[in-house]
This record gives sequence, C-alpha cells and structure tokens, in this order.
Amino acid sequence: MTPEEAALTVCVVVAAYAGIRVLLERNTVKKLPFLNVCSFAVAGSIVLILPHPLTIIAAAAYFIGTTLESNAIASTYAGGIREE
Amino acid sequence: MPADPLHILIAAAVSWVNFIAIDLFFRLPERGGVSGASEIGRQIEAGGGALPGGYMMGNIVSSPDASAGTLLAACGVFIAGVPGGLLTALLVYLGNRVCHDPGYAGTTGCITATFIVYGFSLIGISPASFIAGMVIAILTIQGISSVHASRLLATLWGWRRA
Amino acid sequence: MNLLPMLVFGLLVVLGTGGTILERDPFAKLISLSLIAAGVIPFVVDRGYLDVAIALALIVPLSTFFLLMACRRDRT
Repeated sequence: MTPEEAALTVCVVVAAYAGIRVLLERNTVKKLPFLNVCSFAVAGSIVLILPHPLTIIAAAAYFIGTTLESNAIASTYAGGIREE
Repeated sequence: MPADPLHILIAAAVSWVNFIAIDLFFRLPERGGVSGASEIGRQIEAGGGALPGGYMMGNIVSSPDASAGTLLAACGVFIAGVPGGLLTALLVYLGNRVCHDPGYAGTTGCITATFIVYGFSLIGISPASFIAGMVIAILTIQGISSVHASRLLATLWGWRRA
Repeated sequence: MNLLPMLVFGLLVVLGTGGTILERDPFAKLISLSLIAAGVIPFVVDRGYLDVAIALALIVPLSTFFLLMACRRDRT
C-alpha cells in the first residue's frame, strides 16, 4: 500500500463518518461543522484520486464553494431567527 | 515506498499545531466574524460548550481560515511542489475576500504550511500523508464532540490572551 | 477508483438524498443537498472531467443562494 492509497483510505473513511454524523445531528446549525469535515475529506480525496495541476483549482473551487454555502446558510438562519 | 501509519500521525500532529497556532494568533476566537459564525458559536454554547471555542469553530466553518490553508497547501505541494502551494495561497486569499474576511489567517497558514510540508517531504514524509493528517486534525476539532472541542479551544484561547 | 472510495461516495449521495427527503427544516434540506454534491464531484473527477468538476463546484453554491432567497421569504 503506497502512501497515496493509505491517505485516500483515511480521507474516505472520515468522509463516510462525517456524512453519517450530518444526518444524525438534530440541531440544524450544528450540522454545519460535520458538513465542513465532509468537504475537507472530499477535497483531499479528489486530489488523491487524480493528481493533475488543474485538480488544485478544482479542489480549491470545491472547498471555497462549500464554505461559502455554509456561510450563506448559517447567516440566513441567524437572520431568520432574529426576525421572528 | 510502503505506507507508514506513524507518518500520518506525525503529519496530523504537525498540521494540528500549525492551524491552531495561526488561528489563535489571528484572534479567531475573539468574536464571530460574520453573523453565521456568531450563530454557530451561540448554538454550541447553548449545547453546553464554551463561547470562544464556538466562535472559532463557527469561523472555521464559514470562511477558509488556516485549516483550509493547510489542507490546500498540502494538496498543492503534493501535485506541483512549492509553486503549487503558493498558487493555493492565492486561491485561499480570493476565497477569503469572497467570504467578507480580511484573509490574513488563511493566507498565512497556507504559506507556512507550504514550507512545512515541503520540508517534511525532504525527510521522507510524503505530502499525501499531510492531506490525510489534516483531515484527521479537522476531525478532532469539528467532528467528534463540539462540547469538548469548544472547551479545549477556549482553554487554549485563555492561554493566548493571558 | 478502488471499491472502497466508490462505495463511500455512493453512500454520501444516498445519505444526502434520504436526508433531503426526510428532513423537516428547509435549512436541513439544503445541507443534505450539498451532501449530494460532495458525493457526485469525486465521480466526475475520477473520469478526468476536471472542467466539469470546477463548473459544478461553482454552480452548486450559487443555486443554493437562490434557494436560500426562497427560504428567507418563506420564513418572514
């Protein structure tokens, strides 16, 4: 087993764990840290699956995209709570 | 070269120290940067955690900070060496600007992590181990227990402020 | 791709779909939707379509923004 395969196995196991924790958590806002772990693991795995220079941009775009999405969901949730 | 579990554990410890130190240095636990981060901090406090640790976890979720910088720098060094790491520093800075964040923590973490990962690759620890190590490091902060992680971060923040 | 990564990313898609259907809160539904994207993008990258993966990674958050506008109007 090369270091790349070992690292891919670790990333994939963490992604599965985080995905299951996202569904099991009942509080909506507390789901977001688990979603963040999941996107870390997926961004690491796509780099390990296909090492190519464009993959750096793909991983960064994916990671920044999910971060922006979490930011927007949490901000809208906070605004909605305040207005009620 | 065969894989060594010890390498992944060393990489996880180094990445953990790198991103926690830089996040504490740039005062992420002081307040929630955006309203979403403050909301996450308040919900974690309502669930039994500590407020500064909750703010820091909220900031990690809602903007690419030093943890994202460390992961993407390891990815960049894995593919293209030091220039790849510096390219990811530029991308993390752009992402920070999009998220209404000054971007000092993410960019600094990315640049330091680039040279740390490159240095460890010279002594035989592959950058791939650092990708897995950073995933394990973020798992220990965000993924196990928000209550205990926020209390640990609040303790570290108390040392930083003292 | 090996068998284990394929199974796990398929599991993420299935979990995201189930969560989107079963959750009550609209924000929890949106979080489950982004779990589907997390499962799909590695399959696109595995075939080598990196440009499609970059476009997908940018389109999914933007579509979430528009869905969030609908959620916010619904709540107020």
